[in-house]
Amino acid sequence: MKIASMLNDVFVSLFKRPFTELYPYAAKPAPERLRGKLLWDEQKCDGCKLCVRDCPARAIELEVADRAAKIFVYHYHMDRCIYCAQCVASCKEGALSMSSTLYHLASADKAAFTEVYRAKGTGVCKEEETPD
Amino acid sequence: MSGESAFSGIQDGVGPWISSSRAPADNRLDMDTSAEHLVGAVTAFNALKWGYLSAITGFDSGTAAPSDGHIEVLYHFCRGPSVATFRVKLPREDPSVPSIGPLVPSAVMYERELSETMGVNVAGLPGRKRQFLSDDWPEKVYPLRKDFTMESAAATHAEAPTVGGEDEPGTFIIPIGPQHPALKEPGHFELAVDGEIVTHANIRLGYVHRGIEKGAEDRSWVHNIYLMERICGICSHIHATAYVLGVESLAGVAVPPRAQAVRTIFCELERIHSHLLWLGVAAHQAGFDTLFMYSWRDRETVMDLLEELSGNRVNYSVNLLGGVKYDIVGKAADSIRRGLDFLERRLKRYLKIVTTDESFLRRTRGVGTITFDEANRLGTIGPTARASGVSRDLRVEAPYMAYRDFPVVPVLDSRCDLEARFVVRINELFESCRLTREILNRMPAGELSVPAPRKVPEGEVISRVEAPRGELFYYIRSTGGAKPDRVKVRTPSLCNWAAVLSVAVGHKLADIPMIMVGIDPCFSCNDRSITLRRRGAPGGVPGALEQWSWEDLRQYGIKYYAGGGR
Amino acid sequence: MNVVLALIALVLFPGGLFVILGSLAFEYADRKLIARFQNRVGPRWFQPLADLVKLLVKEEIVPTGVNRGLFNGLPVAALAASLTAALYVPMAGLAPAWGFRGDLVVTVYLLMMMTLCIGLAGANTLDRFSLIGSTRALTQLFSYEAPFLLALLGPSIAAGTWRISEVNGYARENVWMIVTQPLGFVVALIGLMGKLELPPFDAPEAETEIVSGALTEYSGRGLAFFRLGRDVELLVGLTLISAFYLGGLANPLHFILKTLALLFVTAGLQSLFARLRIDQTVGLWWRAGAVLALVQLLLLIVLKLLGVRL
Repeated sequence: MKIASMLNDVFVSLFKRPFTELYPYAAKPAPERLRGKLLWDEQKCDGCKLCVRDCPARAIELEVADRAAKIFVYHYHMDRCIYCAQCVASCKEGALSMSSTLYHLASADKAAFTEVYRAKGTGVCKEEETPD
Repeated sequence: MSGESAFSGIQDGVGPWISSSRAPADNRLDMDTSAEHLVGAVTAFNALKWGYLSAITGFDSGTAAPSDGHIEVLYHFCRGPSVATFRVKLPREDPSVPSIGPLVPSAVMYERELSETMGVNVAGLPGRKRQFLSDDWPEKVYPLRKDFTMESAAATHAEAPTVGGEDEPGTFIIPIGPQHPALKEPGHFELAVDGEIVTHANIRLGYVHRGIEKGAEDRSWVHNIYLMERICGICSHIHATAYVLGVESLAGVAVPPRAQAVRTIFCELERIHSHLLWLGVAAHQAGFDTLFMYSWRDRETVMDLLEELSGNRVNYSVNLLGGVKYDIVGKAADSIRRGLDFLERRLKRYLKIVTTDESFLRRTRGVGTITFDEANRLGTIGPTARASGVSRDLRVEAPYMAYRDFPVVPVLDSRCDLEARFVVRINELFESCRLTREILNRMPAGELSVPAPRKVPEGEVISRVEAPRGELFYYIRSTGGAKPDRVKVRTPSLCNWAAVLSVAVGHKLADIPMIMVGIDPCFSCNDRSITLRRRGAPGGVPGALEQWSWEDLRQYGIKYYAGGGR
Repeated sequence: MNVVLALIALVLFPGGLFVILGSLAFEYADRKLIARFQNRVGPRWFQPLADLVKLLVKEEIVPTGVNRGLFNGLPVAALAASLTAALYVPMAGLAPAWGFRGDLVVTVYLLMMMTLCIGLAGANTLDRFSLIGSTRALTQLFSYEAPFLLALLGPSIAAGTWRISEVNGYARENVWMIVTQPLGFVVALIGLMGKLELPPFDAPEAETEIVSGALTEYSGRGLAFFRLGRDVELLVGLTLISAFYLGGLANPLHFILKTLALLFVTAGLQSLFARLRIDQTVGLWWRAGAVLALVQLLLLIVLKLLGVRL
């Protein structure tokens, strides 16, 4: 018969720092594999649209003006995305990756959640600013 | 045990009641019977004492045109790795079967689901009107039929719903739920009490029914992995795993051993996470908040591990059709080992507390006893059954994935009470830690995934895995297309509710939350309609209820604050 | 005492506002200690005040079918009783604001009013949870009040007086009564925890079983008053026990140190046990508590008769 069986833990805790992380004043570094915002490499993309087809949340839209010359318009909806990384696995060229640093994605404005990139073969120009 | 000898005796026992039979897979036996012969077949089958009823599936083989096809009801009985199924074909216009509830108590829940969602008329079903769909769901609209449309659902709205009804004179009913601090998710339990002793218990689920099975029919095979993952937060990986194992079997995809090992490690880490979460929740139900806080603090270890390995603390999204996305090497493996060392030290302390702390034992020892025979009769599964001495563990009886090469030692306890359930789950945690270490030490080499076809060949498959709460049953049917024809999910908690209801009677009211939490219920897994009902204080007339709908409440709140607070 | 001083004593110090703020501070200390025992951070210093203010500004919903007068009046009565009890104890280590022969009994009675009001409030609202909570609260009242009174009687007999200020004085001059009457101390402390329905004796408001017990239907002002009354009672109870058993309160420093030490022990006890079921709390304490207290009293009386000075 034992009473106060947690006495040990309780007593020791008085002298330890609380386990609670005082986020956002103190934040642990994010793990490398964290699935944050989706990043698109327009050089590697070949316009096959497997990512569009496999996304469970219809978060990616790709308009292909000229596949050979790599003229694309790429839409990414951060609010629809469920951060499952299926698109990353589906892409045969490795053009997609999920950032482990861009995950503070909250915004008060819905428009901020859609990113549009226009690739013109030689470079990409981003249309909207993204929240950080 | 080969398929032949596993089913021997069945054919002779139920021979006169079935019209034909075949073995679509090594571990399956399908027997066709009819609605008239069903009761006879099940009676004869029960007499053989072969296995337990695991699930009842209904599917609609037709299309949107109402005259095509038929409705088929499958009664799945399981024993170890083998599944014996009775199949009844019914016409679409008026499908009826008799209830097998009197023969198999756990069938009632499944038959109710069948009757509400598929529209099969199950004759002789006892009890309340609706269990899974909301009370104001229109009559004669069955969501899982192929000719179901959203318009038909929105069309008619039944009159004001009632919860419970009038109290019979002489009884005093305590409603627990849908909103109650004891419940992490909504469910409605009606307990009739006499002083502090419970005399009758009733359950109503369906408050978070999301229509996932129907949704699966509209999504591609790949999309469904993520849909299934979101059936539940703490068993998300095992749901996705059961699904992909089934689909891979249908598609004839041979997953490389390394991928299977990675999947298994995630399954075991998830089991650790789930059991630690349960330990905290159960302690909280007992009013022992300190144990709750400490076990959840230690749970952070495994959540951080999972985040490090997969990129997310919940919904690991590790599975692909044909393998896994992530590998476990080097530093990650070392982190796992360190985390497991820490957890094992803490678990030893928790085991001691749970088995020796006097105040805790008063709440668990001798409470909620489900005897060995009761457990068998009620069809309990998972740790609840193992705490009553019933050795049901799919990882042992029907090893899948890496469990073939890394066997699991089953954890049993014969004391049958709540304390036994605590002990079983903590010991399972030790076993999971040991197993994970072993797999890490001898990881098979190889690729992480192989390509899978986008169109899955026609066929049916039954995929059964051991979730933290017990046996998870998936029935997947394909008609050769890019989307599944039917995905049926029978989650472990659904099996165990019958046990709770029968055990509740005779116990004190204060023990009910502990008994409910003892089976580790996962409501999200049970329901795939939210109506807020406020059970206000009846004015003079016993049993009269006040009801507000969500919209009423919302409007009231808006008006109140718009009017300056009065 | 002239009227102005009396009013100040009643409303500002050492009664009224001082007691209210002090009890909020004690609630903060209690919650912070429990949090630290559980390896958590705990609330910030103004949390109890914020909770109080929040409840006061919220709408009060009066359920149908209750007696409105009782529903609104009971919380006020409970708070008033607790605040009045504060006037008779050596609050802040100073002499009690009022005193008369027999004020010990009156104080204990006033402290009991709180539980009575909760029980009545629960019975008044016809909600199922409240009824069960009220039944449990009143049952628990029987098991804790009697031992509590007996435990306070011990020092009173040793001091030979019914007046709290005189017992306080006696305690200051002699050996701490926690040493000479340890059983009484244990009974008193646990009796206080039972009265206040602190874990592990919180079956009457077992959140996971009957929502909030007797107070389920209370919201807004009513709930604020009940909660405040409970905090005040905690402060008063701790003051009383430390005055009697921990060598009297001679000045504010004693007051702070001794009552906080008791609070530390109480917080520890709150963290270490699982909640007892109502039949267990009653069963345990009705027998064990009463017996211990009686044994202590008996010892005391015998020793006094033998002329031993305590």
